[in-house]
Amino acid sequence: MSRQIINLTVNGDRHEIAVAPNQTLLEVLRDELGLSGTKRGCTSGACGVCTVQQEDGRAVLSCLALAVEWDGRAVTTIEGIAEPGQLHPVQAAFLEYGAVQCGFCTPGLIMTAKALLDTDPTPDEAAINEAMAGAICRCTGHIKVKIAIREAVQQALREREPDAAPT
Amino acid sequence: MQLPSFEYLRPATLREGLDWLSEPGTDTAVVAGGSDLLVNMKLGLVTPKRLVSICDLPGMQDVTEDADGGLRIGAGCKLTDLLQHETVTGNYPALADAIRAVGSQHVRNMGTLGGNLCLPTRCWYTNQSEQWRESRQPCFKTDGELCHVIKSSARCHSLNSSDTAPALIALGASVTLASRDGTRELPVADLYFDDGVDYMTMRPGEILTEIHLPPPTGVSAFIKVAQRNGLDYAAGTIAGWFDGAAARLVLGSIGSHPVSLPKAADLVVAGGLGTKTIDAAADAARADLGEVSNLFSPPGYKRRLARSLVRRVLEQLADLQGGGK
Ligand code: FES
Ligand code: FES
Repeated sequence: MSRQIINLTVNGDRHEIAVAPNQTLLEVLRDELGLSGTKRGCTSGACGVCTVQQEDGRAVLSCLALAVEWDGRAVTTIEGIAEPGQLHPVQAAFLEYGAVQCGFCTPGLIMTAKALLDTDPTPDEAAINEAMAGAICRCTGHIKVKIAIREAVQQALREREPDAAPT
Repeated sequence: MQLPSFEYLRPATLREGLDWLSEPGTDTAVVAGGSDLLVNMKLGLVTPKRLVSICDLPGMQDVTEDADGGLRIGAGCKLTDLLQHETVTGNYPALADAIRAVGSQHVRNMGTLGGNLCLPTRCWYTNQSEQWRESRQPCFKTDGELCHVIKSSARCHSLNSSDTAPALIALGASVTLASRDGTRELPVADLYFDDGVDYMTMRPGEILTEIHLPPPTGVSAFIKVAQRNGLDYAAGTIAGWFDGAAARLVLGSIGSHPVSLPKAADLVVAGGLGTKTIDAAADAARADLGEVSNLFSPPGYKRRLARSLVRRVLEQLADLQGGGK
Protein backbone atom coordinates (compact mmCIF):
# COMPACT_ATOMS: atom_id res chain seq x y z
CA MET A 1 0.00 0.00 0.00
CA SER A 2 1.20 3.46 -0.81
CA ARG A 3 3.07 5.43 1.79
CA GLN A 4 1.99 8.80 2.99
CA ILE A 5 4.09 11.64 4.34
CA ILE A 6 3.19 12.67 7.86
CA ASN A 7 4.40 15.55 9.99
CA LEU A 8 4.99 14.25 13.46
CA THR A 9 6.46 16.18 16.36
CA VAL A 10 8.28 13.91 18.78
CA ASN A 11 9.52 15.43 22.03
CA GLY A 12 9.45 18.85 20.39
CA ASP A 13 11.33 17.80 17.24
CA ARG A 14 9.48 17.88 13.95
CA HIS A 15 9.84 14.91 11.64
CA GLU A 16 8.63 14.36 8.11
CA ILE A 17 8.23 10.63 7.71
CA ALA A 18 6.78 8.42 5.00
CA VAL A 19 4.56 5.85 6.66
CA ALA A 20 2.45 2.97 5.43
CA PRO A 21 -1.22 2.89 6.53
CA ASN A 22 -0.61 -0.25 8.56
CA GLN A 23 2.32 1.17 10.53
CA THR A 24 1.61 1.93 14.15
CA LEU A 25 2.98 4.92 16.03
CA LEU A 26 5.04 2.42 18.03
CA GLU A 27 6.69 1.06 14.88
CA VAL A 28 7.43 4.56 13.62
CA LEU A 29 8.97 5.65 16.92
CA ARG A 30 11.12 2.57 17.30
CA ASP A 31 11.91 1.46 13.78
CA GLU A 32 11.90 4.72 11.80
CA LEU A 33 13.11 7.19 14.43
CA GLY A 34 15.26 4.84 16.51
CA LEU A 35 13.53 5.85 19.73
CA SER A 36 13.58 2.45 21.38
CA GLY A 37 12.70 3.68 24.87
CA THR A 38 9.05 3.01 24.06
CA LYS A 39 8.76 -0.76 24.35
CA ARG A 40 7.08 -3.30 22.14
CA GLY A 41 5.20 -5.74 24.36
CA CYS A 42 1.86 -7.39 23.74
CA THR A 43 1.16 -5.03 20.82
CA SER A 44 -2.52 -5.51 21.55
CA GLY A 45 -3.38 -2.97 24.22
CA ALA A 46 -3.04 -5.29 27.18
CA CYS A 47 0.20 -4.26 28.88
CA GLY A 48 0.92 -0.54 28.55
CA VAL A 49 4.67 -0.79 27.88
CA CYS A 50 4.18 1.20 24.68
CA THR A 51 2.58 4.16 26.51
CA VAL A 52 3.27 7.65 25.18
CA GLN A 53 1.63 11.00 25.90
CA GLN A 54 -0.54 12.89 23.46
CA GLU A 55 -0.79 16.70 23.32
CA ASP A 56 -3.20 17.04 26.24
CA GLY A 57 -0.96 14.89 28.41
CA ARG A 58 -3.15 11.80 28.30
CA ALA A 59 -1.56 8.38 28.13
CA VAL A 60 -2.19 6.49 24.91
CA LEU A 61 -1.00 3.16 23.57
CA SER A 62 1.32 3.60 20.61
CA CYS A 63 0.82 -0.03 19.58
CA LEU A 64 -2.85 0.70 18.81
CA ALA A 65 -2.35 4.10 17.19
CA LEU A 66 -2.11 4.33 13.43
CA ALA A 67 0.80 6.54 12.44
CA VAL A 68 -1.25 8.09 9.60
CA GLU A 69 -3.66 9.40 12.24
CA TRP A 70 -0.79 11.28 13.88
CA ASP A 71 -0.17 13.58 10.94
CA GLY A 72 0.19 17.10 12.33
CA ARG A 73 0.23 15.89 15.90
CA ALA A 74 2.75 15.83 18.74
CA VAL A 75 3.80 12.99 20.99
CA THR A 76 5.99 12.78 24.08
CA THR A 77 7.99 9.62 24.67
CA ILE A 78 10.13 8.49 27.59
CA GLU A 79 13.15 10.05 25.84
CA GLY A 80 11.56 13.49 26.07
CA ILE A 81 10.35 13.82 29.65
CA ALA A 82 13.53 15.39 31.05
CA GLU A 83 16.51 17.36 29.81
CA PRO A 84 19.47 15.20 28.73
CA GLY A 85 21.34 14.03 31.80
CA GLN A 86 18.42 14.93 34.05
CA LEU A 87 15.68 12.79 35.54
CA HIS A 88 11.97 13.50 35.64
CA PRO A 89 10.70 13.41 39.25
CA VAL A 90 8.85 10.15 38.54
CA GLN A 91 12.05 8.62 37.17
CA ALA A 92 13.97 9.83 40.21
CA ALA A 93 11.37 8.27 42.51
CA PHE A 94 11.45 4.95 40.64
CA LEU A 95 15.23 4.92 41.09
CA GLU A 96 15.10 5.95 44.73
CA TYR A 97 12.49 3.36 45.75
CA GLY A 98 13.71 0.45 43.65
CA ALA A 99 10.61 0.32 41.48
CA VAL A 100 12.57 -1.31 38.67
CA GLN A 101 13.37 -4.98 38.29
CA CYS A 102 14.20 -6.10 34.74
CA GLY A 103 13.16 -2.66 33.53
CA PHE A 104 11.15 -3.69 30.52
CA CYS A 105 7.89 -2.18 31.74
CA THR A 106 9.59 0.86 33.28
CA PRO A 107 9.20 3.36 30.42
CA GLY A 108 5.52 2.50 30.07
CA LEU A 109 4.90 2.68 33.80
CA ILE A 110 6.74 6.00 34.07
CA MET A 111 4.84 7.50 31.14
CA THR A 112 1.57 6.27 32.62
CA ALA A 113 2.42 7.72 36.03
CA LYS A 114 3.59 10.99 34.49
CA ALA A 115 0.35 11.24 32.49
CA LEU A 116 -1.58 10.80 35.73
CA LEU A 117 0.40 13.44 37.62
CA ASP A 118 0.20 15.88 34.71
CA THR A 119 -3.59 15.79 34.86
CA ASP A 120 -4.00 15.21 38.63
CA PRO A 121 -0.94 16.31 40.64
CA THR A 122 -2.30 14.90 43.92
CA PRO A 123 -3.99 11.60 43.08
CA ASP A 124 -5.29 9.47 45.92
CA GLU A 125 -4.73 5.74 46.21
CA ALA A 126 -7.78 4.90 44.10
CA ALA A 127 -6.78 7.31 41.34
CA ILE A 128 -3.26 5.83 41.24
CA ASN A 129 -4.67 2.31 41.01
CA GLU A 130 -7.09 3.29 38.27
CA ALA A 131 -4.50 5.08 36.17
CA MET A 132 -1.87 2.38 36.55
CA ALA A 133 -4.20 -0.57 35.92
CA GLY A 134 -3.38 -0.63 32.21
CA ALA A 135 0.40 -0.68 32.71
CA ILE A 136 1.62 -4.05 33.79
CA CYS A 137 4.98 -5.10 35.22
CA ARG A 138 5.96 -8.59 34.10
CA CYS A 139 8.22 -8.85 37.15
CA THR A 140 5.11 -8.01 39.23
CA GLY A 141 6.81 -5.22 41.14
CA HIS A 142 3.71 -3.12 41.55
CA ILE A 143 4.04 -2.32 45.25
CA LYS A 144 7.30 -0.46 44.87
CA VAL A 145 5.94 1.27 41.80
CA LYS A 146 3.07 2.58 43.87
CA ILE A 147 5.39 3.65 46.66
CA ALA A 148 7.51 5.52 44.12
CA ILE A 149 4.49 7.29 42.63
CA ARG A 150 3.20 8.26 46.06
CA GLU A 151 6.64 9.62 46.92
CA ALA A 152 6.84 11.58 43.68
CA VAL A 153 3.52 13.18 44.67
CA GLN A 154 4.80 14.01 48.16
CA GLN A 155 8.04 15.38 46.75
CA ALA A 156 6.14 17.68 44.39
CA LEU A 157 3.98 18.86 47.29
CA ARG A 158 7.04 19.56 49.43
CA GLU A 159 8.59 21.57 46.64
CA ARG A 160 5.43 23.59 46.14
CA GLU A 161 4.62 24.26 49.78
CA PRO A 162 7.68 23.42 51.84
CA ASP A 163 5.87 23.74 55.19
CA ALA A 164 2.42 22.39 54.47
CA ALA A 165 3.11 18.97 52.96
CA PRO A 166 2.80 15.97 55.25
CA THR A 167 5.95 13.90 55.40
CA MET B 1 2.02 -8.59 16.00
CA GLN B 2 1.83 -6.49 12.87
CA LEU B 3 -1.14 -5.10 11.08
CA PRO B 4 -1.95 -6.61 7.70
CA SER B 5 -1.89 -4.05 4.92
CA PHE B 6 -4.91 -1.93 4.10
CA GLU B 7 -5.79 1.40 2.60
CA TYR B 8 -6.60 4.22 5.02
CA LEU B 9 -9.31 6.72 4.10
CA ARG B 10 -10.28 9.87 5.91
CA PRO B 11 -13.56 11.26 4.60
CA ALA B 12 -14.25 15.00 4.82
CA THR B 13 -17.97 14.47 5.20
CA LEU B 14 -20.24 11.71 6.46
CA ARG B 15 -21.64 11.42 2.96
CA GLU B 16 -18.19 10.70 1.55
CA GLY B 17 -17.58 8.09 4.26
CA LEU B 18 -20.91 6.40 3.52
CA ASP B 19 -20.13 6.38 -0.20
CA TRP B 20 -16.77 4.71 0.41
CA LEU B 21 -18.28 2.25 2.85
CA SER B 22 -20.85 1.04 0.36
CA GLU B 23 -18.60 0.78 -2.68
CA PRO B 24 -19.17 -2.83 -3.71
CA GLY B 25 -16.35 -5.34 -3.54
CA THR B 26 -14.03 -3.09 -1.54
CA ASP B 27 -14.18 -4.83 1.86
CA THR B 28 -14.29 -1.57 3.80
CA ALA B 29 -14.57 -1.26 7.58
CA VAL B 30 -15.25 1.74 9.79
CA VAL B 31 -12.66 2.72 12.39
CA ALA B 32 -13.19 5.16 15.25
CA GLY B 33 -10.74 4.91 18.18
CA GLY B 34 -9.24 1.71 16.84
CA SER B 35 -8.48 0.23 20.26
CA ASP B 36 -10.44 -2.92 19.50
CA LEU B 37 -10.53 -3.14 15.70
CA LEU B 38 -6.76 -2.94 15.34
CA VAL B 39 -6.28 -5.78 17.84
CA ASN B 40 -8.65 -8.00 15.88
CA MET B 41 -6.89 -7.05 12.65
CA LYS B 42 -3.54 -7.99 14.18
CA LEU B 43 -5.01 -11.32 15.21
CA GLY B 44 -6.20 -11.81 11.63
CA LEU B 45 -9.81 -12.13 12.79
CA VAL B 46 -10.93 -9.37 10.47
CA THR B 47 -8.99 -8.33 7.40
CA PRO B 48 -10.65 -5.31 5.82
CA LYS B 49 -8.86 -3.98 2.76
CA ARG B 50 -9.87 -0.39 3.50
CA LEU B 51 -10.50 1.54 6.71
CA VAL B 52 -12.72 4.59 6.77
CA SER B 53 -11.90 6.73 9.79
CA ILE B 54 -14.90 8.57 11.20
CA CYS B 55 -13.58 10.23 14.37
CA ASP B 56 -12.80 13.57 12.75
CA LEU B 57 -16.11 13.90 10.96
CA PRO B 58 -18.07 17.01 11.88
CA GLY B 59 -20.26 16.44 14.94
CA MET B 60 -18.81 13.04 15.78
CA GLN B 61 -17.21 14.36 18.97
CA ASP B 62 -20.07 16.63 20.06
CA VAL B 63 -22.15 16.30 23.20
CA THR B 64 -25.31 18.38 23.03
CA GLU B 65 -28.33 18.74 25.25
CA ASP B 66 -31.62 18.17 23.50
CA ALA B 67 -34.60 20.50 23.61
CA ASP B 68 -36.53 17.75 25.41
CA GLY B 69 -33.85 17.47 28.12
CA GLY B 70 -32.14 14.41 26.67
CA LEU B 71 -28.54 14.15 25.58
CA ARG B 72 -26.98 13.55 22.17
CA ILE B 73 -23.50 12.06 22.12
CA GLY B 74 -21.45 11.84 18.94
CA ALA B 75 -20.35 8.26 18.35
CA GLY B 76 -16.72 9.38 18.06
CA CYS B 77 -16.59 10.88 21.57
CA LYS B 78 -13.67 9.48 23.50
CA LEU B 79 -14.73 7.65 26.64
CA THR B 80 -12.46 9.77 28.84
CA ASP B 81 -13.96 12.97 27.42
CA LEU B 82 -17.46 11.81 28.29
CA LEU B 83 -16.45 11.43 31.94
CA GLN B 84 -15.60 15.15 31.98
CA HIS B 85 -19.19 16.02 31.15
CA GLU B 86 -21.20 16.89 34.24
CA THR B 87 -24.38 15.96 32.36
CA VAL B 88 -23.11 12.42 31.81
CA THR B 89 -21.70 11.78 35.26
CA GLY B 90 -24.45 13.61 37.12
CA ASN B 91 -27.55 12.54 35.21
CA TYR B 92 -26.65 9.09 33.90
CA PRO B 93 -24.58 7.37 36.61
CA ALA B 94 -25.09 3.91 35.06
CA LEU B 95 -23.45 5.13 31.84
CA ALA B 96 -20.63 6.90 33.70
CA ASP B 97 -19.82 3.79 35.73
CA ALA B 98 -19.99 1.61 32.62
CA ILE B 99 -17.54 3.93 30.86
CA ARG B 100 -15.18 3.81 33.86
CA ALA B 101 -15.31 0.02 33.61
CA VAL B 102 -14.08 -0.11 30.01
CA GLY B 103 -10.51 -1.35 29.52
CA SER B 104 -7.85 0.78 31.17
CA GLN B 105 -7.31 4.53 31.38
CA HIS B 106 -5.17 4.21 28.24
CA VAL B 107 -7.94 2.42 26.38
CA ARG B 108 -10.58 4.92 27.53
CA ASN B 109 -8.33 7.73 26.29
CA MET B 110 -8.41 6.17 22.81
CA GLY B 111 -11.71 4.31 22.58
CA THR B 112 -15.06 5.85 21.68
CA LEU B 113 -18.61 5.29 22.85
CA GLY B 114 -19.75 4.28 19.36
CA GLY B 115 -16.84 1.85 19.15
CA ASN B 116 -17.71 0.26 22.47
CA LEU B 117 -21.30 -0.26 21.31
CA CYS B 118 -20.02 -1.97 18.15
CA LEU B 119 -17.52 -4.11 20.06
CA PRO B 120 -17.14 -7.45 18.29
CA THR B 121 -18.18 -10.52 20.28
CA ARG B 122 -15.28 -12.53 21.63
CA CYS B 123 -14.46 -16.10 22.41
CA TRP B 124 -11.72 -18.00 24.20
CA TYR B 125 -11.13 -20.07 21.06
CA THR B 126 -11.01 -17.38 18.40
CA ASN B 127 -9.61 -14.24 20.02
CA GLN B 128 -6.14 -15.73 19.92
CA SER B 129 -3.19 -15.60 17.55
CA GLU B 130 -3.49 -17.21 14.14
CA GLN B 131 -1.06 -19.96 15.18
CA TRP B 132 -3.19 -20.72 18.25
CA ARG B 133 -6.31 -20.90 16.14
CA GLU B 134 -4.65 -23.15 13.58
CA SER B 135 -4.32 -25.90 16.18
CA ARG B 136 -8.09 -26.38 16.03
CA GLN B 137 -10.70 -26.81 13.39
CA PRO B 138 -12.20 -23.59 12.10
CA CYS B 139 -15.43 -22.56 13.85
CA PHE B 140 -18.40 -20.42 12.80
CA LYS B 141 -16.35 -17.30 13.42
CA THR B 142 -13.49 -18.46 11.24
CA ASP B 143 -15.57 -19.77 8.33
CA GLY B 144 -16.03 -23.24 9.83
CA GLU B 145 -19.17 -25.14 10.70
CA LEU B 146 -19.01 -25.69 14.44
CA CYS B 147 -18.84 -23.90 17.77
CA HIS B 148 -15.99 -24.99 20.05
CA VAL B 149 -17.90 -23.76 23.08
CA ILE B 150 -21.03 -25.85 22.54
CA LYS B 151 -20.15 -28.57 20.06
CA SER B 152 -23.76 -29.43 19.25
CA SER B 153 -24.72 -25.80 18.68
CA ALA B 154 -25.96 -24.51 15.36
CA ARG B 155 -24.67 -21.04 16.12
CA CYS B 156 -21.67 -19.19 17.53
CA HIS B 157 -21.74 -18.50 21.26
CA SER B 158 -19.06 -15.83 21.58
CA LEU B 159 -19.83 -13.16 24.14
CA ASN B 160 -20.84 -9.57 23.74
CA SER B 161 -18.59 -7.85 26.28
CA SER B 162 -19.50 -4.23 25.71
CA ASP B 163 -19.70 -2.53 29.10
CA THR B 164 -21.66 0.46 27.87
CA ALA B 165 -24.36 -1.46 25.95
CA PRO B 166 -26.21 -2.79 29.04
CA ALA B 167 -26.05 0.68 30.63
CA LEU B 168 -27.43 2.42 27.55
CA ILE B 169 -30.20 -0.17 27.18
CA ALA B 170 -31.18 0.23 30.83
CA LEU B 171 -31.25 4.00 30.37
CA GLY B 172 -33.52 3.64 27.35
CA ALA B 173 -31.01 5.08 24.88
CA SER B 174 -31.23 4.86 21.12
CA VAL B 175 -28.73 5.31 18.31
CA THR B 176 -28.78 7.03 14.95
CA LEU B 177 -27.66 4.87 12.06
CA ALA B 178 -26.74 6.70 8.90
CA SER B 179 -26.67 5.17 5.45
CA ARG B 180 -26.75 6.48 1.90
CA ASP B 181 -30.55 6.18 2.04
CA GLY B 182 -30.86 8.44 5.04
CA THR B 183 -30.86 7.87 8.78
CA ARG B 184 -32.86 5.72 11.14
CA GLU B 185 -33.21 5.72 14.89
CA LEU B 186 -32.96 2.40 16.73
CA PRO B 187 -33.24 1.60 20.44
CA VAL B 188 -29.89 0.25 21.68
CA ALA B 189 -31.92 -2.74 22.90
CA ASP B 190 -32.60 -3.60 19.24
CA LEU B 191 -29.01 -3.20 18.11
CA TYR B 192 -27.94 -6.78 18.84
CA PHE B 193 -28.76 -10.30 17.67
CA ASP B 194 -28.28 -13.25 20.01
CA ASP B 195 -25.63 -14.70 17.69
CA GLY B 196 -21.86 -14.57 18.07
CA VAL B 197 -21.16 -14.16 14.34
CA ASP B 198 -24.07 -12.02 13.24
CA TYR B 199 -24.15 -9.93 16.42
CA MET B 200 -25.32 -6.54 15.24
CA THR B 201 -28.54 -5.58 13.55
CA MET B 202 -26.80 -2.75 11.69
CA ARG B 203 -27.03 -3.21 7.96
CA PRO B 204 -24.05 -3.18 5.60
CA GLY B 205 -23.25 0.40 4.65
CA GLU B 206 -24.54 1.88 7.91
CA ILE B 207 -22.51 4.02 10.29
CA LEU B 208 -23.50 4.57 13.90
CA THR B 209 -23.25 8.34 14.24
CA GLU B 210 -24.95 9.31 17.46
CA ILE B 211 -26.20 7.99 20.81
CA HIS B 212 -29.36 9.59 22.17
CA LEU B 213 -30.20 9.47 25.86
CA PRO B 214 -33.74 10.31 26.99
CA PRO B 215 -34.20 13.00 29.65
CA PRO B 216 -32.84 11.69 32.95
CA THR B 217 -35.45 10.21 35.27
CA GLY B 218 -35.33 7.87 38.23
CA VAL B 219 -32.17 6.19 39.48
CA SER B 220 -29.60 4.10 37.63
CA ALA B 221 -26.55 2.01 38.46
CA PHE B 222 -23.99 -0.26 36.81
CA ILE B 223 -21.83 -3.03 38.28
CA LYS B 224 -19.01 -5.00 36.68
CA VAL B 225 -17.53 -8.17 38.09
CA ALA B 226 -14.21 -9.25 36.63
CA GLN B 227 -11.20 -11.24 37.76
CA ARG B 228 -9.28 -8.03 38.26
CA ASN B 229 -10.45 -4.46 38.62
CA GLY B 230 -8.53 -2.87 35.78
CA LEU B 231 -8.18 -3.75 32.12
CA ASP B 232 -10.21 -6.92 32.10
CA TYR B 233 -13.24 -8.26 30.36
CA ALA B 234 -16.16 -8.83 32.68
CA ALA B 235 -17.32 -12.15 34.06
CA GLY B 236 -20.64 -10.35 34.11
CA THR B 237 -22.07 -6.85 34.26
CA ILE B 238 -25.47 -5.45 35.13
CA ALA B 239 -27.15 -2.14 34.58
CA GLY B 240 -30.37 -1.15 36.32
CA TRP B 241 -32.78 1.74 36.04
CA PHE B 242 -35.99 2.46 37.95
CA ASP B 243 -38.22 5.53 38.04
CA GLY B 244 -41.08 4.24 40.18
CA ALA B 245 -43.30 3.42 37.21
CA ALA B 246 -40.95 1.43 34.99
CA ALA B 247 -37.74 -0.54 35.46
CA ARG B 248 -35.07 -2.08 33.28
CA LEU B 249 -32.40 -4.61 34.23
CA VAL B 250 -29.81 -5.68 31.67
CA LEU B 251 -26.97 -8.16 32.02
CA GLY B 252 -23.81 -7.88 29.94
CA SER B 253 -20.93 -10.25 29.11
CA ILE B 254 -23.14 -13.27 29.86
CA GLY B 255 -24.31 -14.12 26.34
CA SER B 256 -23.91 -13.14 22.72
CA HIS B 257 -26.08 -10.08 23.32
CA PRO B 258 -26.97 -7.93 26.34
CA VAL B 259 -29.66 -9.88 28.18
CA SER B 260 -32.70 -7.98 29.42
CA LEU B 261 -34.46 -9.34 32.53
CA PRO B 262 -38.13 -8.40 32.09
CA LYS B 263 -39.52 -10.72 34.78
CA ALA B 264 -37.18 -9.34 37.42
CA ALA B 265 -37.93 -5.78 36.29
CA ASP B 266 -41.69 -6.37 36.42
CA LEU B 267 -41.40 -7.52 40.03
CA VAL B 268 -39.62 -4.27 40.88
CA VAL B 269 -42.29 -2.19 39.15
CA ALA B 270 -45.00 -4.03 41.09
CA GLY B 271 -43.27 -4.24 44.45
CA GLY B 272 -40.65 -1.48 44.62
CA LEU B 273 -37.18 -1.94 46.06
CA GLY B 274 -37.85 -3.59 49.42
CA THR B 275 -35.79 -6.60 50.48
CA LYS B 276 -38.57 -9.09 49.72
CA THR B 277 -38.97 -7.82 46.18
CA ILE B 278 -35.22 -7.76 45.67
CA ASP B 279 -35.05 -11.41 46.75
CA ALA B 280 -37.85 -12.34 44.37
CA ALA B 281 -36.30 -10.37 41.49
CA ALA B 282 -32.92 -12.05 42.03
CA ASP B 283 -34.62 -15.45 41.83
CA ALA B 284 -36.59 -14.40 38.75
CA ALA B 285 -33.37 -13.39 36.99
CA ARG B 286 -32.39 -17.04 36.78
CA ALA B 287 -35.57 -17.78 34.87
CA ASP B 288 -35.10 -14.70 32.66
CA LEU B 289 -31.60 -15.79 31.79
CA GLY B 290 -32.51 -18.93 29.85
CA GLU B 291 -29.74 -21.04 28.39
CA VAL B 292 -26.17 -19.94 29.11
CA SER B 293 -22.92 -21.32 27.75
CA ASN B 294 -19.77 -22.41 29.53
CA LEU B 295 -17.66 -19.84 27.68
CA PHE B 296 -15.12 -18.22 30.07
CA SER B 297 -17.05 -19.53 33.11
CA PRO B 298 -19.35 -22.48 33.90
CA PRO B 299 -23.11 -22.04 33.41
CA GLY B 300 -23.77 -22.62 37.12
CA TYR B 301 -21.44 -19.76 37.97
CA LYS B 302 -23.09 -17.47 35.43
CA ARG B 303 -26.53 -18.16 36.90
CA ARG B 304 -25.38 -17.51 40.46
CA LEU B 305 -23.55 -14.40 39.28
CA ALA B 306 -26.67 -13.11 37.50
CA ARG B 307 -28.67 -13.58 40.66
CA SER B 308 -26.15 -11.77 42.81
CA LEU B 309 -25.72 -8.96 40.28
CA VAL B 310 -29.48 -8.37 40.25
CA ARG B 311 -29.49 -8.26 44.03
CA ARG B 312 -26.54 -5.89 44.19
CA VAL B 313 -27.78 -3.48 41.54
CA LEU B 314 -31.27 -3.32 43.08
CA GLU B 315 -29.76 -2.66 46.51
CA GLN B 316 -27.78 0.19 44.95
CA LEU B 317 -30.92 1.57 43.32
CA ALA B 318 -32.71 1.35 46.68
CA ASP B 319 -29.86 3.29 48.34
CA LEU B 320 -30.00 5.91 45.62
CA GLN B 321 -33.73 6.20 46.01
CA GLY B 322 -33.16 7.05 49.64
CA GLY B 323 -33.62 3.89 51.65
CA GLY B 324 -36.38 2.17 49.71
CA LYS B 325 -39.01 0.14 51.51
S1 FES C 1 2.58 -3.13 23.64
FE1 FES C 1 0.99 -1.67 23.60
S2 FES C 1 -0.22 -2.29 25.27
FE2 FES C 1 1.26 -3.88 25.22
S1 FES D 1 10.47 -4.56 35.92
FE1 FES D 1 10.38 -6.34 34.70
S2 FES D 1 8.54 -6.01 33.66
FE2 FES D 1 8.43 -4.59 35.20
